[in-house]
Amino acid sequence: MTFTREIKGAIAGGLTSLLILIVTFVAAGIYKDRRVMEDPFRTSPLAAQNLSAKGRTLFFQSCAHCHGRDADGGEDAPSLHKLQISGAHMALVIKSGIKGEMPTFSKKYSDQDIATIVAYLKTLN
Amino acid sequence: MNLLIPWDKLHGAMTHFPIALLLFSTACDFASVAFNKLAFARELRIVSLYALVFAALASLGAVVSGIALTKGDLWGRGNFGWHHRFVWPAFGLLLALAVWRLVAREAMSRFGLYLYLTLMLLASGLIAVAGYFGGEILLSGGGAP
Repeated sequence: MTFTREIKGAIAGGLTSLLILIVTFVAAGIYKDRRVMEDPFRTSPLAAQNLSAKGRTLFFQSCAHCHGRDADGGEDAPSLHKLQISGAHMALVIKSGIKGEMPTFSKKYSDQDIATIVAYLKTLN
Repeated sequence: MNLLIPWDKLHGAMTHFPIALLLFSTACDFASVAFNKLAFARELRIVSLYALVFAALASLGAVVSGIALTKGDLWGRGNFGWHHRFVWPAFGLLLALAVWRLVAREAMSRFGLYLYLTLMLLASGLIAVAGYFGGEILLSGGGAP
């Protein structure tokens, strides 16, 4: 009896876990696809250019004095060329900052503004 | 949606519940085995069961807020990628262990108990490392060179 309940529990646990993981991955995939479809960067090359041009302007206003005008790094900040992180991660770092190293920009810039900066940073790769 | 909900803050707040509760549950389980002859060993097992179940429930919120935060990016690169490599096994193992424990309750053989404790240790390690890389993303700018 003990053995049966134990085995049943293990099977139920494994199946529940598998099911929730599958649902999570499928739902996240659908969500990601929808975000990509809505991404203005993908709609047209002109829209992408406008986006990164605006991002470049914002970059010069707030980032260039530390990261350099060409974003190739300054005395206190690293180069932003060939970043090995995703756009979502770049946006997160810009929004949240880095403790003791980089200020937060969540109050200064909207999500759309940050998306333009990310679009500009992606052109540096 | 991202304009209305601060997913970064929400994810940061929600992730600490499953981490703390899972580690606490593991500690209670090991204490109950170490002191199994004492009266409070049974209470420790009950506490560890509830902590594990709440950890599993809280992990759902942490995962949903994380997916919203990353806009559906489940892997990524650098610290982001490492965070996810440890999060997904930890999440799956946590859910499996919680359901197993809920169904089996006290009805565990010696082998089952040792297997369960081993997997709890593994899940705790995975979630601790995932938490470490999650912190690294914020504190060191992730994989930024």
